[in-house]
Amino acid sequence: MKSLKKNALHKSIIVFACLILAMGCDKDVLKETPLGSLSSEVVLTTKAGFETYLIGLHQAAREEMTMDDQTYIMNFIGTDIASAAGVEFVFYKDYNSYLNPATREVVNIWNWAYSQMILRANTVITYANKPDAATIWATEKEKNAVIAEARFFRGYTYNLLANLYGGAPIVDSIFSSPKTDFVRSTRQQVYEFAKEDLAFASQWLPATVPKASEGRIVKAAADHLLSEVYISLGDYDKSIASANLVINSGLYHLMTDRFGSRKDLSGDVYSDLFQDGNQNRSSGNFESIYIWQFEAFTAGGGGSQGGNSQIRQWGPFLSKVKDPAGISMIVTDSLGRGTGPIRGTNYYLYDIWTTDWSNDIRNSDFNMRRKYYYNNSASAAYFGKIVEPKTDPEDTMRNIYAYPKKVEGKPWNNINTSGRTVKDVTVFRLAETYLLRAEAYFRKGDLSNAATDVNIIRSRAKASAVAPANVTLDYILDERARELITEEPRRRTLTRMGKLVERVRKYSLLATTKSTIQNKHEFFPIPQTAIDANLNAKLDQNTGY
Amino acid sequence: MFKNSILRNVFLSHAACDASHIKKLFFFLLIFQAFAFDTRAQSITGTVKNNNGEAIEGVSVVIKNSSTGTSTGANGQFSITVKNRGDTLVFTYVGFETKEVAARPGSPVSVVLNPNTVTGNEVIVVGYGTQSKRNVTGSVSKADLARTENLPNTNITQAIRGSVAGVQVVDNGRPGESGSILIRGPRSLSASNNPLIVLDGIIFGGNLADVNPNDILSMDILKDASASAIYGSRAANGVILITSKKGMTEKPTIRINAFKGISDWAYKVKLFDAARYAQSKLDWREQSGLVADPAKITDYLTVTEADNYKNGISHNPWDMASQQGKISSYDISVSGRSKATNYYLSAGLVDEKGLIYNDNQKRTSLRANLDNNVTDWLNIGMNATFVRRDLSGVSAALGDAYTNSPYGVWFYPDGEPTQYIVPEDQAYGNPVRPSLLTTNEEISSNLFSNFYAKIDIPFIKGLSYRVNYSPNIRWNHSYNFFRQDKHLPNNTTTASKMNYESFDWVVENILTYKRQIGKDHNIDVTLLYGRNHSKYESTTASAAQLSSDALGYNSLALGSILTNISTAEAFEGISSMARVNYRFRDKYLLTLTARRDGSSVFAENNKYATFPSGSLAWIVSDESFMEKIKFIDLLKLRVSYGSVGNQAINPYQSLGLSNTTQYVFGDGGGTSVGVFPSSMENSNLKWETTNTLNAGLDFTLFGGRLSGTIEAYNSTTKDLLVRRTIPTLTGYSSIFTNIGETNNKGLEISLNSINIQIKNFEWNTTVVFSNNKNKIVHLYGSDINGDGKEDDDLSNSWFIGQPITSYYDYVFDGIYQEGDDIPAGSKPGFVRLKDLNGDKKIDAKDRTIVGSGGQPKYRFGITNNFKYKNITLSVFLNGMQGWISNFPLLNTAVSPNAPGRGLNQLDAGYWTKENKSTTRPSLVYNNPLRHDWYMSKNFVRIQDVSLGYDFSKSMITKFRLQNLRVFLSAKNLYTFTDWLGSDPEVGATSSSDFYPMPRAITVGINVGF
Repeated sequence: MKSLKKNALHKSIIVFACLILAMGCDKDVLKETPLGSLSSEVVLTTKAGFETYLIGLHQAAREEMTMDDQTYIMNFIGTDIASAAGVEFVFYKDYNSYLNPATREVVNIWNWAYSQMILRANTVITYANKPDAATIWATEKEKNAVIAEARFFRGYTYNLLANLYGGAPIVDSIFSSPKTDFVRSTRQQVYEFAKEDLAFASQWLPATVPKASEGRIVKAAADHLLSEVYISLGDYDKSIASANLVINSGLYHLMTDRFGSRKDLSGDVYSDLFQDGNQNRSSGNFESIYIWQFEAFTAGGGGSQGGNSQIRQWGPFLSKVKDPAGISMIVTDSLGRGTGPIRGTNYYLYDIWTTDWSNDIRNSDFNMRRKYYYNNSASAAYFGKIVEPKTDPEDTMRNIYAYPKKVEGKPWNNINTSGRTVKDVTVFRLAETYLLRAEAYFRKGDLSNAATDVNIIRSRAKASAVAPANVTLDYILDERARELITEEPRRRTLTRMGKLVERVRKYSLLATTKSTIQNKHEFFPIPQTAIDANLNAKLDQNTGY
Repeated sequence: MFKNSILRNVFLSHAACDASHIKKLFFFLLIFQAFAFDTRAQSITGTVKNNNGEAIEGVSVVIKNSSTGTSTGANGQFSITVKNRGDTLVFTYVGFETKEVAARPGSPVSVVLNPNTVTGNEVIVVGYGTQSKRNVTGSVSKADLARTENLPNTNITQAIRGSVAGVQVVDNGRPGESGSILIRGPRSLSASNNPLIVLDGIIFGGNLADVNPNDILSMDILKDASASAIYGSRAANGVILITSKKGMTEKPTIRINAFKGISDWAYKVKLFDAARYAQSKLDWREQSGLVADPAKITDYLTVTEADNYKNGISHNPWDMASQQGKISSYDISVSGRSKATNYYLSAGLVDEKGLIYNDNQKRTSLRANLDNNVTDWLNIGMNATFVRRDLSGVSAALGDAYTNSPYGVWFYPDGEPTQYIVPEDQAYGNPVRPSLLTTNEEISSNLFSNFYAKIDIPFIKGLSYRVNYSPNIRWNHSYNFFRQDKHLPNNTTTASKMNYESFDWVVENILTYKRQIGKDHNIDVTLLYGRNHSKYESTTASAAQLSSDALGYNSLALGSILTNISTAEAFEGISSMARVNYRFRDKYLLTLTARRDGSSVFAENNKYATFPSGSLAWIVSDESFMEKIKFIDLLKLRVSYGSVGNQAINPYQSLGLSNTTQYVFGDGGGTSVGVFPSSMENSNLKWETTNTLNAGLDFTLFGGRLSGTIEAYNSTTKDLLVRRTIPTLTGYSSIFTNIGETNNKGLEISLNSINIQIKNFEWNTTVVFSNNKNKIVHLYGSDINGDGKEDDDLSNSWFIGQPITSYYDYVFDGIYQEGDDIPAGSKPGFVRLKDLNGDKKIDAKDRTIVGSGGQPKYRFGITNNFKYKNITLSVFLNGMQGWISNFPLLNTAVSPNAPGRGLNQLDAGYWTKENKSTTRPSLVYNNPLRHDWYMSKNFVRIQDVSLGYDFSKSMITKFRLQNLRVFLSAKNLYTFTDWLGSDPEVGATSSSDFYPMPRAITVGINVGF
């Protein structure tokens, strides 16, 4: 009896001891290996891994437009070409109260630049250059092509930051612990840094990519942007040389004949450039250099806010327009749903066209929507009739006005109320390369060559030639407005050239904008959130803010 | 000596895995044998009566620390066999205080049980065991579930709301929502502040809504370090121990509890009504410089709105998006015990309809608690509960309802919902369209169980070993099918299926040793070693543009765009713990606890941490010098100091991770998968540690008429786990890290008073009061600006010496009126901000701390219970004072709620030329500096009122019932507050979270057989 009990005791002690030991001895039990998450260490060990990170960069780059509905539009609103004139809009109406270190896009663009573009680019560059990554690459060329694409995006972003904010902190590495003592480099240093990136990119990027890869960065994109950066650095010869690399590559030419998806329908060659499906090079568009890709009904085919939002931003709020019987117009697929925050100035809608109003094809009915027809079949009396001139400022400032037809396209996922389209967005196009070269020639004092370049663009548009003596920076800006409206981020062009304040005072649609803009507004302020977070060093605010 | 060695052995067992310590373990375990007693069985008899001298049937009589027990018969008599001379008999009966009596064979024992309206010698669950409340040295509060028995609670958080000192419960009143609990204020800045929930001894990983309150016997809340240190690693935010019911009597007890109720809105967030809406459009036009002719209002409204305006049609969006709130609950349980077996089986069904359209829950719960004495030294059992919650149905979109014009069109003539109620302004959709067009099945299931075996190790009296294995499987799915909108030309169909499964397990080995040594010494040792694991995985498959809607979500292959997402996460933990309770002469009590925990969520070299604590208590009233002071029944002083840890962060936070995205190259191309870095690594991430000093005083006075507890504490949290905002220049906007130090100081008072106790009438009052003051002590230890004080962190709004939730902002200084000196960019009706530094301009330098929130400065709850003959009335008031919150919706003119559009907004008044408000801006104030708006969250609420009637024994015995009770109760009767959101306690500040707090009226019945 006694021994039996003792036995049970011993047994239970042994069981307990064994349980403890069985469970306690695995030292690796607490080591974490993520089950559903990747990491750079895991992915950036093969060429295919680097490829996925480059795709991540392309996605981030397109977010410049699609991150939300209110950031990209600041490239146009409150400049010489457009205002948010609708009565409830506040954007840049009163520069003094609107533009400050808390303004939404001031913060958004900064955060997008550093936490998406520059981080992703730096990660690729850092990992590709690691000594233990050497075995990944078959050749130095293969490695450099990967780095080149990342450096293109980094250069693109730093150039954008320098254009908008002036000097900015240069971040060229990745961090594994918080850093709170960043300081700003000068604008010049940022341009220099961008130049280095783009020069490397120019050296190693491919000249063309296969049809299935369209949208990927080609050498000409780097050269095109270098041409701009060299102007900012004051090195006009190098700017011209970079532009020449694109123009003389034999790969690009201005389109002079009808092409693409609607070439047999009424239109002109300029309108062909902006038809659905006509942006990529394989459509026959040889001006195409860098295009943001959109694809309906496909995962990854749109950004955070869906497709191309140009129609939503440039299109007037037509559904608020009533016919004399009091019946509203309706949203249709041909017009799309505009909300009217980007209302063209008189400068853009009328003044710059006056000399060639009817011969410049960019002002033709195919390219500029100036006429509207009542489209609600519920209105027996007015359906199909042309909309008479409106006088109520609510209509003329927001609900109905002229806009470039470039922004129209097939509705996103067939939803015409989305205010978005599936149309690819042109970021760089050869016409701009010519205008950059023209600017470089002009700044160098070579008015003749400047005029020649401008006239190449004008002659394709069937507009009259400009005389060399009449070429000025302002004229080049006029021509950019005519040729590149909606494509060039106008605010950045103006701030790059130091022309924003001057031209807003001259051309803004709104008296309050003209009177409230001050010299400090040439640059965006540094976001207050960035200054607040940088605890251990002072991130200087731009003068005046 | 042996104590220390055992501790060391257990703690080091995972680190030093050599064989030598097995020998040591053997050796020390064998030492226990030296204390073994000789045993001899003897029989004890007696009777149990209540304080009125009536015999009580069914009282449980158990030999303490054993599973041997019986229960009293019809005349209150019992007989039990005891083996050891020193044994104690424990008498428990529902509604009465537990009593312990020394087992002295010989003359019959006479025991009187007192009703437990006053906290007396209750048994408190303290984690890995129970203790008589008298012997507890730490800070433990017992939630009085008797108070809530007659309330229509479907969630245990509702049951303890406002009734326990230092505990703040937020329950948003939505069906199936779990509510949240905060003990002694938030400690952590951004790790979870939720307390640890321990259900029947096992850490509970599920949703609190998965627990059927009718199955719960008691809830014990461990508040100080000493009490909670046994759960060291996860106890930083306090511990709630939930104990489910067991069989109490030999005769099976059948209980039926049913109630049915209806609810309506306790408060509706005030939006512009139809007339004010139209007026606001006119005022906005006038303020915008547009023509504002009241006769032309229809020109200013959209065509859709104008039509309704002309026809006098308007809608209150809250009414349109709501349904009649209803609740019904049915619960049945059978419990009992025999010599060998104790069982509790229950089934419950709750059917709740919330106030918002389609916001519903159906919950089915089953529980089985079985406990079996296999032999006199082996006890095995299980507690298992299965809960299935059906949350199907997409509820109406509140954010959309909030912004919708009163003049919108909700339905087409054919009854189909419109896409936008004002089609000219498509900013917000029709709130009920997703509810009506979506077929949704959302079901979550939870099977939580614990299997245990307890061995009373022979020859060593008082030594026992228990092993727990607790598997918990949870699986949820949410399936959606959005059908074709018949009024849209494009294919609107989408379908998705989400499946989630998680599996957790806990294994624990617990060795306990309880001994009385001589007359004066009582010792009680608990050792624990355990492992826990949890893993979840989920898959979501989606399809858009289905070619047929015949199959709903059941055939996703019909979609033309297919996407799949899946993920998984796992977590591992290792714990060891030792606790010693020592009592000297039953007057001087000591508890020492140490716990060492390992958690996978921390960085490579910081996985483990050790948390020691100690506490002392002195029962002053047992001292001889106190005998003369007759009015003091019990006076106990407690003091404790100790540390607990927090690991409440998600796995993988110390690692730098990447996320995926997609892009499409070329026209007509397929998806390319992209990857990008998404989080910064932190190779130093470690445990957060809270050290708490707690002093408490427990007292019972005037023969139990007044009792209570007063406690003060001071706790300091180091290496705070925080999600800290960092410069986006680093590439990341935030990182999980440990920083600095925060401090919580507080005072808690609980009082129970029997105010009147006469023949047929009794009135008692319970008051709980607590205040908690929290502040940041250190952040990064830097002083860059050289002012001799540690720097604050503006971007996180963290300030040395200020509460964690502080608002740093511009200071509101009234409204500019005509004739004022108004700066450029402003005009009459705009907000004036204070120029704090007097530099004549308002910029970032004019920001300051404008107040604090997150938690109230003090909280109180007052319960008054009245009993007249068979009628009981209970009234419970709940209040919180001294806190503010930001409330962005007070902005008047910020897009997209632009008052110029066909959209509605909060009606908190606004400035006009005629009504020159000094607190509200005009409708065109655009707030360029983006300052926020703030509002007091103070409130006092008539939380629960309950009226009950107990049918007297003589009436119900005819029907062979043991008890029959009917009740009528009201919940959230009225809230006194200035808060403009849906509820100050919940504090939602976003319109999409404006779920109404239901005011519910319920009738119910409790039957016992």
